[in-house]
Amino acid sequence: MFFSVRDVSKWLGLHLFVMCIMLVSVLVFTIILVIKFDPNIETPANDWWVIFSPLFVGDALCAYFCVIIFLRIILEITIKRSILKLCWSVTFLTLIFVFKFLLCKKLLAQLSLDYSEVFAPLYILLQLIAFRACQQT
Amino acid sequence: MVMHRALFTWFILLVFFILLCLRLEARTHWNWFLIFLPLWIYDLIIFLEVIFKFVVTLVKYKQFKFGLEKHFLALVTALFLILGQIMLCLKLEYKSLELQLIHVLIPFWITLPLLIFAVVCSMVHQYSID
Repeated sequence: MFFSVRDVSKWLGLHLFVMCIMLVSVLVFTIILVIKFDPNIETPANDWWVIFSPLFVGDALCAYFCVIIFLRIILEITIKRSILKLCWSVTFLTLIFVFKFLLCKKLLAQLSLDYSEVFAPLYILLQLIAFRACQQT
Repeated sequence: MVMHRALFTWFILLVFFILLCLRLEARTHWNWFLIFLPLWIYDLIIFLEVIFKFVVTLVKYKQFKFGLEKHFLALVTALFLILGQIMLCLKLEYKSLELQLIHVLIPFWITLPLLIFAVVCSMVHQYSID
């Protein structure tokens, strides 16, 4: 296709396993979303946290995996490289998490922010991704 | 080449998110198909690339089955991604159609396992090389 899986992994600086976890969490999220909007199934009114829970669990698993990668790189390669990789992973996961958290709050009407403000972490992430794209060969 | 593709993808996503924010905040009342325009352009390019590669394989090896096997995943993913987006736009724009969310998400439920399969295959391939 337009990109191979490895190109995407290299560009986003994510391990294939992390990408896999993210895709699975999105799949589970869509399934729970359908259950929430199914008129035949009764669900509590404010259960956006439950709907978003697969995404948050996915983020937690990704963070755990990134720490393991960090420790392995320290042991096998260099501290500098491991810290750089950890910084990128932490930034990526944090921005994604903040976006989901704000979106969840917005959907629950607990937040008076505009959608452009909710999307701000994504815009920051896009800028960082653009920088990474320029480093690709 | 990867850099150009990455920057193009970045630009498409940026424009899409800006349009999406404008529409969600009700600052514009544009048609949802128009909001998804950057993604349509991107989908079209992906689809044409897949078709081109498929035809090249067909001409080179003169075996339809081989060509289909080689590009099956990419073809199906591209097709269902476009289908999913069309369904989503229909659901958002034409409320009178009363499309159910489950029907809208079916193409994505086909695409996502295929993408997961592609990532797992790539992971297995990487570890078998290592």
